Amino acid sequence: MTTSAQTVVAPARARTATAAATVRRKQGFQHGGWFVAPFLVLFALFVIWPLLRGVYLSFTDANISGEGASFVGLDNYREALGDSAMWDALGHSAYFTLLVVPCITVLAFLLAMLAHNIERGKWLWRLCFFAPFLLPSTVAGNMWQWLFTQGIGLFNQTFGLDTPWLTDKSYAMLAIVIETLWWTVGFSFLLYLAALQGIPDHLYEAAKLDGANAWHRIVHITLPMLRNITGLVIALQILASLQLFDQAVVMMDFSPGPELSTRSFVQYTLEQGFTSYRVGYASAMSIIFFVIIAAVALTRMWLLRNREEGGR
Amino acid sequence: MGQPSLSRRQLLAGLGGLGVAGSLAFAALGTGADALASSADTRVRYWNLFSGGDGANMIAMLNAFRKEHPGIAVKDSTLQWGNPFYTKLAMAAAGNRAPELGVMHLGRVAGFSPGRLLDPWDVDLLAKYGVRKEDFNPALWNRGVIDGKLYALPLDIHVQLCFYRKDVLKKADLLGDDGRIVPVTSTDEWFDVLKKAKAVQKKGLQTIGLWTNDQNFQWWFFVAFYTQLGGEWFNDARTEVLFDVDKATQVLEFFRQHVTDGYVIPGAPTGEQFINGAPFTWEGNWSVPVFSGAKLDYGATPLPPVFGKQATHAESHAFVLPHQAGRGGATNEAAHELAAYVVQHALQWAAGGHIPAYTPTLSTDAYKNLTPQNEYVSAMDHQATEPKVWFAGSTGVLAQDLGPTVVSSTMGSAKPAAVAQRMKAQLTKLLASKNPMDGKTAAQGGAVA
Amino acid sequence: MTTAETTVRTVRTKVRKPWTPSQIVLTLIGVAVSAVFVAPIAAALLTSLKSEAEAAEIPPHWLPEVWTGQAWKALYETGNITNWFVNSLVVSVLVTAVVLTVAALAGYGFARTEFRGKGVLMGIVMSGLMISPAVLGVPLFTTVQQMGMVDTYWGMILPQCAPAAMVYILYKFFQGVPRELEEAAFIDGAGRWRVFFTIVVPLARPSLAAVGIFTFIASWNNFLWPYMVTNNPDLMTMPNGIATVMNSYGIQWAQLMAGGLMAGLPLIIVFVFFQRQIVAGVAHTGLAGQ
Repeated sequence: MTTSAQTVVAPARARTATAAATVRRKQGFQHGGWFVAPFLVLFALFVIWPLLRGVYLSFTDANISGEGASFVGLDNYREALGDSAMWDALGHSAYFTLLVVPCITVLAFLLAMLAHNIERGKWLWRLCFFAPFLLPSTVAGNMWQWLFTQGIGLFNQTFGLDTPWLTDKSYAMLAIVIETLWWTVGFSFLLYLAALQGIPDHLYEAAKLDGANAWHRIVHITLPMLRNITGLVIALQILASLQLFDQAVVMMDFSPGPELSTRSFVQYTLEQGFTSYRVGYASAMSIIFFVIIAAVALTRMWLLRNREEGGR
Repeated sequence: MGQPSLSRRQLLAGLGGLGVAGSLAFAALGTGADALASSADTRVRYWNLFSGGDGANMIAMLNAFRKEHPGIAVKDSTLQWGNPFYTKLAMAAAGNRAPELGVMHLGRVAGFSPGRLLDPWDVDLLAKYGVRKEDFNPALWNRGVIDGKLYALPLDIHVQLCFYRKDVLKKADLLGDDGRIVPVTSTDEWFDVLKKAKAVQKKGLQTIGLWTNDQNFQWWFFVAFYTQLGGEWFNDARTEVLFDVDKATQVLEFFRQHVTDGYVIPGAPTGEQFINGAPFTWEGNWSVPVFSGAKLDYGATPLPPVFGKQATHAESHAFVLPHQAGRGGATNEAAHELAAYVVQHALQWAAGGHIPAYTPTLSTDAYKNLTPQNEYVSAMDHQATEPKVWFAGSTGVLAQDLGPTVVSSTMGSAKPAAVAQRMKAQLTKLLASKNPMDGKTAAQGGAVA
Repeated sequence: MTTAETTVRTVRTKVRKPWTPSQIVLTLIGVAVSAVFVAPIAAALLTSLKSEAEAAEIPPHWLPEVWTGQAWKALYETGNITNWFVNSLVVSVLVTAVVLTVAALAGYGFARTEFRGKGVLMGIVMSGLMISPAVLGVPLFTTVQQMGMVDTYWGMILPQCAPAAMVYILYKFFQGVPRELEEAAFIDGAGRWRVFFTIVVPLARPSLAAVGIFTFIASWNNFLWPYMVTNNPDLMTMPNGIATVMNSYGIQWAQLMAGGLMAGLPLIIVFVFFQRQIVAGVAHTGLAGQ
């Protein structure tokens, strides 16, 4: 299911236009700067300028009050690279990503297969699997914080457990992962569902005629046809998971978790900026994070390009 | 996109247009939805961090004030306690959008850049509304004075307490003739008490709540018992760390033993456990209204002097004036009036467990008749506080850095001796670090004069 | 896309297949999995109908022993919740309106018009895909602080109004629109803006709806940026207010759940009614990234 416009077959170009008309036609597409100007203004103010400002601040010892910053060269970066707490925080974000991305990809695929193949009540499955995604991060976080609270929470009660989900460092991140799976799998599920609906029926029919069973059809038709969407799901999930913040702080009552075990990179950066008031240092960490995110995004682009070229 | 009927599309477009227009009008006003409803002459915005029982008492005091001062509209806002509160207060002050009045912990005032993020109180104006220096414990008053100016007006002292259920302790024969818990003077005696209580308590619950996973509580408890041992932090010049690793280890081992001996269920919510029947819990005095509200038969003493000397962790809520570029005029005066009123009418506040800072309140019969407040009012005389450095204070950098290490020892993921060493190393690092607000280390004066 | 979908739908409803064993098994699995997904929301709803004391009981139970609306009532009476609701609405509506306008113009501009430096600008805009308040929060905050917009609606709104992703999605769409329609209009003497508004925008309605829906959901649920930029509880949006400002009576689970549902249910109810459009929208915005 892609855009309708892309599937419209372009009619042959009219070649009957007069010279004057051609000029007018061409002029219509000239000097389009005004179209992009409003967006570019906002983009420059709230994306580009903060980025440049972040680079500048990262070379200073600026504090939150915005007064009296002085140039400190590479000190912030030097400190950050030697700051074990920063590496720990990055590790937590990476660990979270490693846990969430494979789980969510597989789960989203299975849910989509389920919803796609049940013939009745499609709207109901879509609603149930997607509804959590419509909740604000903080609401989903609060719900699960309560479910996981030892003694009064229904999670342990329901499964007959007595696990200190939110208060033990070996469980806290798992609790956040479980909450995240529930909360966000709906988005990837919808992408898979749309992709499944885009697979032409005749492929399956042909395979059936060739005597392929359901399993073979999945392995030889469905999975290959979903390759692109899987790449997209994984990329989007990696980028989103690395930016872990909302649900973690809400479930941990705005603390860094038991023995700092759920302090994400974003949380540590904000702590440095807004709790320790070290805006310069926090900016340096922001820039480091930007480089990491950009590296991930560029890797995906590179992989895509390689594959496309290889496929041709 | 299917083919929605024309009428629905038109309806949507119409609604959308209305919504955008309405929102634009609203945003153009630039104020909150609430501002539209306010009609009083002078508006005092007041940010506080009081929730639970405190919140109810604060609101009652504010309502009393509102009744007596109809010309002043008090808009109170409660923010989540902890870092978000200080972050937001600091950001609001830095962004010059601060409220007229705020509350913070006295220990945080020094590091909060008085003069930049905080404005000083007009002492004459306070006196006009009936609040004078003489009405306060001098040491307490002076904690709010920096560079000769008053930046924080103390409202109370709040302390960490040992709550106990009299119904359980009676069965264990641990109550004295006065109906209070028998005195404890050593760690052996303390664990003996726990053992006896455990024998008679309801099964399935823990014996004592220690907030083993909470970096703030664990840090406060550490400060209390480390002070009981006479432990020091820094020399007066703030150039040298005097942290005593042996004493710290002793304290950490004491905490850890509660877990290893099975008196604690790590992670169990402490208040809920106590209400459901656990014999002990260590909590802030702000839990008094919660437990009283649950109609428990309970008492509360300062943390037991198991290392011989009395000392329990104490902090203080204080009124502050967050920095406003144009501070002054009627709103500023109204802020003074409100703070002075609340400080003087703190009996209600004492009902919430805190020990009022305004001493005339303490000598009233009404206060002396409050239980269990009269059982722990002595805590006023032996407070354990954090060292006076810029990085100290409630949920400050010091607590943030050292709290988790205490937790790691209590929870058993690190050895107490190793943790004590790590704490010392951390203190050394902090002492050398600069206050980001003025670029000075603690030794260079920092923000603390 | 939708014509195909609709056709498939009609065909399927006409030829309703019988209950085969595999369908029964799949449906049962579907019911079970759905129950797991709905359970937390149901638990929140049930808890919001308990008294506070019951909500904190050890051990807990699913159904309230005494059904009471006290949490909802207290929420309404003591909290800022109505303010937050209005704020959320104002912010989300304006963000959606601004994003739709500027992204449609920019997407068209990049796809169809010529101007100097277009390629470079497009590259720069694409780099914006990697920037979010999570990545650049502190510098973005100081920027907004400098502009004096901390604690204002505009401070919350404007930084959400430059989503490179939405421009990219519409850019891809406009690239796929055949030029002939516009060319014909130009030849007839129509101006560029008139062509845009009378020919291009109506064509793009499905894509614009998708972008609008997605933007609204994202903005309604946005926590991090409003959390950073609002200090004044009167100005907070629902997700931010519920998470940071508790009402003055502490964490009370029943009330917290009631507040959460009040923030979350509107979108879920809207979803029930506009499911097809929203599903298409989310899939569309997501798939465009392929």
